[in-house]
Amino acid sequence: MTLTRSWSRLTPAGKIVVPLLAIVVALTVALLLGMVTGIVPAITGAVLDTLEANVGIVRFVVAILAVLLFTIPTAFIVGYLELKAIAFMNLRLGPNRVGPWGTLAAAFHGFKILAKEDFTPTGADVPVFTLAPAVVFLAPVLAFLVLPFAPGLFGQDMNIALLYFFAMGGLGVVGLMMAGWSSFNKYSLLGALRAAAQIISYEIPLTLSVVGLILLAGTLSLNQIVLNQQGSFLDWYVWQQPLGFAIFFIAATAEGNRTPFDLTEADSEIVAGFATEYSGMRFGFFYFAEYVNVFLLSALTVVLYFGGWLAPIDIGAVLHQVGLTFDPALDPGSLGLGLLLGILIVPPLAIVALALPFWAFRSGLPFWKALVVGFLLFNVIAAGATLLWAVASFEVVEGLLWFMAKTYVFVAILVWMRATLPRVRIDQLMGFAWKWLLPAALVNLFVTALALIVIDAVKG
Amino acid sequence: MARSPHRPQRAGRRLSDGRSRAIDSALKRRLEATLGERLYGPVAQRHDTTEIRVAPGDVAAVMRTLHDDPDLRFRLLADICGVDTGTTMQVVYHLWSDTTPDWLRVIAADLDRDDPRVPSITFLWKGAEWGEREAYDMFGIVFEGNRDLRRIYMPPDYTSFPLRKDFLLPDDASRSPGMGVRHMEQARRPADAPAAAPRSAKAG
Amino acid sequence: MSTTPQARVRSLDDPELYVETPATIFDAIPPYPPRTEREAEFYSVREGEMLINLGPQHPSTHGVLRVVLKIDGERVVDLDPVLGYLHRGVEKICENSDWHMVVSHCDPLEYIASMFSELVPVMAAEKLLDVEVPRRAEYIRVLACELNRISSHALFMGWLALDLGGLTPILYGFIERDEIVEMLAALTGQKLLFNYMRIGGVNGDLNHEFMSRLGDWMGHAAQRIEDSQTLINENEIFVKRTRGLGVIDRETALRMCLSGPPLRATGIPYDVRRAHPYGVYPELEFEIPTREEGDSYARYQLHLDEIKQSIHIIDQVLHKLPDGPVMAKLPRLLRPRPGRAFAAIESPRGQYAVYAMSDGTDQPFRLRIHDPSYFNLQSVGLLTPGHLIADTMAIMASLDPIMGGVDK
Repeated sequence: MTLTRSWSRLTPAGKIVVPLLAIVVALTVALLLGMVTGIVPAITGAVLDTLEANVGIVRFVVAILAVLLFTIPTAFIVGYLELKAIAFMNLRLGPNRVGPWGTLAAAFHGFKILAKEDFTPTGADVPVFTLAPAVVFLAPVLAFLVLPFAPGLFGQDMNIALLYFFAMGGLGVVGLMMAGWSSFNKYSLLGALRAAAQIISYEIPLTLSVVGLILLAGTLSLNQIVLNQQGSFLDWYVWQQPLGFAIFFIAATAEGNRTPFDLTEADSEIVAGFATEYSGMRFGFFYFAEYVNVFLLSALTVVLYFGGWLAPIDIGAVLHQVGLTFDPALDPGSLGLGLLLGILIVPPLAIVALALPFWAFRSGLPFWKALVVGFLLFNVIAAGATLLWAVASFEVVEGLLWFMAKTYVFVAILVWMRATLPRVRIDQLMGFAWKWLLPAALVNLFVTALALIVIDAVKG
Repeated sequence: MARSPHRPQRAGRRLSDGRSRAIDSALKRRLEATLGERLYGPVAQRHDTTEIRVAPGDVAAVMRTLHDDPDLRFRLLADICGVDTGTTMQVVYHLWSDTTPDWLRVIAADLDRDDPRVPSITFLWKGAEWGEREAYDMFGIVFEGNRDLRRIYMPPDYTSFPLRKDFLLPDDASRSPGMGVRHMEQARRPADAPAAAPRSAKAG
Repeated sequence: MSTTPQARVRSLDDPELYVETPATIFDAIPPYPPRTEREAEFYSVREGEMLINLGPQHPSTHGVLRVVLKIDGERVVDLDPVLGYLHRGVEKICENSDWHMVVSHCDPLEYIASMFSELVPVMAAEKLLDVEVPRRAEYIRVLACELNRISSHALFMGWLALDLGGLTPILYGFIERDEIVEMLAALTGQKLLFNYMRIGGVNGDLNHEFMSRLGDWMGHAAQRIEDSQTLINENEIFVKRTRGLGVIDRETALRMCLSGPPLRATGIPYDVRRAHPYGVYPELEFEIPTREEGDSYARYQLHLDEIKQSIHIIDQVLHKLPDGPVMAKLPRLLRPRPGRAFAAIESPRGQYAVYAMSDGTDQPFRLRIHDPSYFNLQSVGLLTPGHLIADTMAIMASLDPIMGGVDK
């Protein structure tokens, strides 16, 4: 009785903290007892041994966690880019309240969506309705697993990575169908059927357009495809497969439900399609999945046709030609007095250089405030660079930077298309897929195969 | 001298002298020649409008003549509306033709107030359908031949005709079931539902 | 007919109350027997067909229009527009207010171009009162109306693109509208519902701010409107989606009582400004642009042509503007003689007319408002069947209904 009375007197926060404290105390006591009796070291050793024996599974779990974490900033960045770039093209200001230049707007959208009521309509098929956003969200996340970000930086290097990627991409439509069917809403159903028709139709030219590239590369592994494009930017597959690239990019736009192919959620026709009845974080999952999809499709375009993490030109070689050498494995000791000068001069110069654009482009910002911003930015950049340098090799950092830069170019192109183009009609969409893209993809495949045979014959 | 209540006290220049158009008396002669005894009173002309009156039974025939006659060619229906004069009902049509600078006003006069009926003109102008629906909705005028004559603005189970001169709001409220907006949920307690506390107690 | 079982759910208002939701709320089928032949035909759903409620809350119904679509897959078989969600009974209100108040009651009818919806009752009252408006006031009316026409047309073109899924053109349309609205706000003090027309003239003379804004705008107006429209004019997707869509021929257009751009897009040069001139339009030079195709694209193109003509008219008005008063001398209390008057003007959406009857008192005996949106919207039922759901929006937007006017 006393216990219940004291429990009801606790504040809501207290109701969370007190049980947590109790759990922590209990765990500590158990741990101490275990240490004293020698059980814990024995268990730890066994666990470590098991992990070492199953390193594949461990790697998979770690990779999936990393990918899951990676999607969050990705979705926020793509979302912010879309808000801001479309606003720029519409001659609006776009987000400009939360954070500098509204950079935190997308993140706060996320928080807002979390706080909204999660609403299940009357007559909905509740388990399917609840499960659908998770399926839609997990499909792109799983596809992330095989994406090579930098040399050695990927979840799994499968030898059927490309096939796996398309399979996971096709899984999303199951979630959309689930959402549309279970919502008990005619608009949702229309949107889901549109999604099914569209994504299944565009899957065919999408896959066929890549077959030519697979003939050239001789492998389905994304890692190997990137490695095949080593050299300068002239060695990228886009030059050998221009038609394939065009088909791939158009079909990928349709696959990701982006304008002008965003028929599944056409707001002026079928309200929001499959997402009409969703609210709160369930709706947020659909949004999340869309932005992650945009990043994913751009990344795949880069990997397949634009050399993935490879630099367009080998900077080291160019510098060597000029007469400069740049050694990534820099030994600070060899610099001598230069090191001292570097430490003294580089930070202030960098701070001022970082502060200048803020001061110049933000009217009304005093210079000292800009300096503060510059100082903070410099520290973040320096800390990040040092940490990356310490953890990963220079190649990984460089590769990651190139990869991200190229990917965001394609993200920007997708956003640009959204701001510019109206939506196509469903019959035009299907006609385009079956009458134009599919024959073009087949032509691309046959021409590539023919060229390979001819080259082999000439060489042989 | 007592001023006429209808005459403005410090009137400006009058519209009917000065710039206003000449009255199209040729149209009057043509109408009289074509329609003859169908006309229900004289052809009146004021400003830029020529006005004829016809019996409600003649509306279809007169309209067809006005529409098809090569000298009249009133191909464009400018407006259709109902009027309640307080004693009778009228349906007023406004027509336009490229043969005359005037608007032609056709008044189907003297409709029975208790059962106003007039033939529909949707066989000539399909677009008059909604106009007739509105007149039906507001005045209760029945257009015979309109195949979609139902209320357009007011809810389907509404019983009054709001633009009639005898329309009185309290009367209307007592007559209408107030079910104009269809209820999405009909409250009903199933037999096995748990008993709820009375609402007033909860509100208190 | 569908036989959805009744769902028993907890009420949202009172969690302890159980509530039965009738099956009809999911079907859009009315809960009463059909009243007309047409209704019976429409609401008898065959195998494979489905009724779907478009509106009254829907992103592209331009307000609170509800359209019940009967669809077979993506194809629209038939449709039934349901009006009245914005019905305020303006005609009845006007019968109970005096002639000056009528102007402000009619103002919000066509709220995108309210200069027009307040000009017509004013003209009808002037005909009843037999009063002539000073020439300067007539010119100012033309000026204000043509400016409002341009702002309305600029917005229309953006709307059409928005209903086709283009995000950007509507904001380019708003550039012109913003400038014109600022201009008219300098003239009238209001930005949306101007309440500027008065029986016997206009509310105030042109002022310096209005003239300077107008001068600035005139310098770049034509060029910039054309520029901003290249975004849609030369867009393959837009052209493919609107060309050959919702085609009306001349005879049908007349039969459907169309007016304004939808009528002129079929090739009939019916424009009240020329067909039945009012105000000072006989003294002004302008052409009536027409198109032969009668489809959505022609209707869109026509708006662009009309903007050019309006700019031409404004140019002439600025050159011909006479001096003098802007209000006729009238008594405070207007008591027109008993009689009937019909006034019509060419609004951006077509022929806007008022039929007024006076019984000698200071209130109109009957004030009939003929709104072009109402009569134009009607033909959506004729044009849409056989097209896809997405085309419903393209056709409806190209007819350009304003629900404030449709529902009165």
